[in-house]
Amino acid sequence: MIRTVFRMMLVTSLKDKITLFYALLFPVVLMAGLGYYFDSPEYRERLLVGVIGISTLFWAMQGVSFQVYGQRNKGVYKLLKLTPFPIVSFVLALTLARTLLGLAINAVLLLIGALAFGISIPFFGAVQLLAMLVVGMFCFTCLGFLVVNFARNEGQINMLSNLLQIPMVFGSDAFYSLSAVPEWLARAGKCFPFAYFVDGLQAAAQADTRPWGLSVLIVFAFALAILVLAALTFRWDPDHRETGFRLKKSAAGGGAGG
Amino acid sequence: MNRVLLQAAGLVKRYGSKSVVDGIDLEVREKEVVAVIGPNGAGKSTTLDLILGLKRRDAGSVTYWRHDYKASVGVQLQSTPFFPGLSALDNLKLFAAFHKRRLTVEEGLRLLELCGLRDAAQTEASRLSGGQQKRLAIAAALVHDPKLVFLDEPTAALDPRARREIRDLIRRLAESGASVVFTSHDMEEVGKLADRIVMIREGRSRRPERRRNCWSDMRRQIWKNCI
Repeated sequence: MIRTVFRMMLVTSLKDKITLFYALLFPVVLMAGLGYYFDSPEYRERLLVGVIGISTLFWAMQGVSFQVYGQRNKGVYKLLKLTPFPIVSFVLALTLARTLLGLAINAVLLLIGALAFGISIPFFGAVQLLAMLVVGMFCFTCLGFLVVNFARNEGQINMLSNLLQIPMVFGSDAFYSLSAVPEWLARAGKCFPFAYFVDGLQAAAQADTRPWGLSVLIVFAFALAILVLAALTFRWDPDHRETGFRLKKSAAGGGAGG
Repeated sequence: MNRVLLQAAGLVKRYGSKSVVDGIDLEVREKEVVAVIGPNGAGKSTTLDLILGLKRRDAGSVTYWRHDYKASVGVQLQSTPFFPGLSALDNLKLFAAFHKRRLTVEEGLRLLELCGLRDAAQTEASRLSGGQQKRLAIAAALVHDPKLVFLDEPTAALDPRARREIRDLIRRLAESGASVVFTSHDMEEVGKLADRIVMIREGRSRRPERRRNCWSDMRRQIWKNCI
C-alpha cells in the first residue's frame, strides 16, 4: 500500500507547478543570466553549485510547506486519522517522493550546467554531491514542515520562508565569496544550515572529502534538531484550538473502542 | 431490534468558557439513517468530530460496536480532501491504500458508477464541479465497504439537481445495508431520508418524538435567526 501512496505522491508533487518554477525554471534562468555575464570558469562552477543549492532550498522547504498546508486545510490529515494508515508513513512517503523529484531536478540543472558551461565533476565528487543533496533535501524538508506548523495562512508561509531563506542565501557562499561581505553577515549565515550545505556542495564538486564530510555532519545535525521541533509542533488539524498532536494518535478523546 | 453500532453519551466540548457542545447523546443502530440537524453553528460538525475522535472531548463517552472500528467506518468531511493532479479514480485508489486495500480499476469504476461519476473517472478531481466533488468525497468514504458512514453536510452549497443526486446516493447506501449518519439543515432532505432525527440547538441535543415537531422547531429557529 505504501507503494501506491508513494506513487501518487510522486504524481501530485510533480503537478506542483509553482514550486517547479522556483526549483527548476528560476535557477536555470539565473544560471543562464549570471553565467553569461560573468565569463569565468571558476565563477560558473560556483554558480552551478549555488543554483543547485537554492533549487533544493525552494523545492524542499517552500514546496513542502505549501503542499502540507494545502493537505492540512483540505482535511487530508483529519481523514488519515480515521484510517489505519499512520500519518508518519504518509509524511515519509511524501518526503521520499519529493526527495526523489528534487534529485531529478538537480540532475537536470547539473546536466544544463555541464552542457552550457562545460563544467565537469569527477565521479567520486558526483557521489559526494548526491549524498550532500539527500542530506540537504531532508534538512530543508524538515524546515518546511516546521514553517507550516507556525503559519496560519499561505501569506504567512511566504513571509516565514522568506524570513529564513533570505539570510540563508545572502549569508552563504552560494553566489559570491563571503570574504567580500561584512563579517556579521557571514556569521549570521553560519547560524543556518544553508551555508554548510553550500560549502558541502562546493567541496563535493572538487571531490574534497574532509570539508564535505564536516558539512554533511553539520547539516544532518541541523536536520535532526529541526525534525524534533517540527514533530513537536506538528498540527494535523487546521483549527489552531486543537493542538497537541505529535505525529501519533492522541489518546484523549480519540474515538473509543468497545 | 438491530444492534447498536455507536453509542455517544454526554458529549461536551468547550472552547474557553463557551460550550460548543453541551451534553449531546447519539445512538446509531444497524441499517439506520440518522440525521443530525440544527441551524448553522449549532454544533453538528463539532459533534461528529467528537464522535470520530477528531477533537478532544471535555466530557462524555463514545462506544463503537467493535474496537477496530476505523476499518468499518467511512467519513465524508465538509472539505474535499483531494490531491491535485490526480484523477477521480486515482484519488479513490489512494484512499483505498489508506485503508490498506488495493482497489482495482473495475472496483473503482463500479464505485464511481454508484456515485454517478463513471464518466469523470479520468478527470482531475480538482476540475470536477462542486456536486461531483461531494460525490467523489462520498465515494472515497466508501472505498473499504464501511458499515457505518458519516456524511457532514453532504448537500451544503449545491444546486437542486446535485442535492437530489446525493440524496439518491444516500438512499442507495441505506438500501445496501450501511448505517448512515448525516448532518444537515435542510428539512426536506431530512424528511425524505432519515429514519431518526437528532436535533441540535446551541450545543444541546433535543430528540423530538415526531418529525413534525422537529420541523416546527427548526422553522421557529430559522425564523428567529432571520429576525
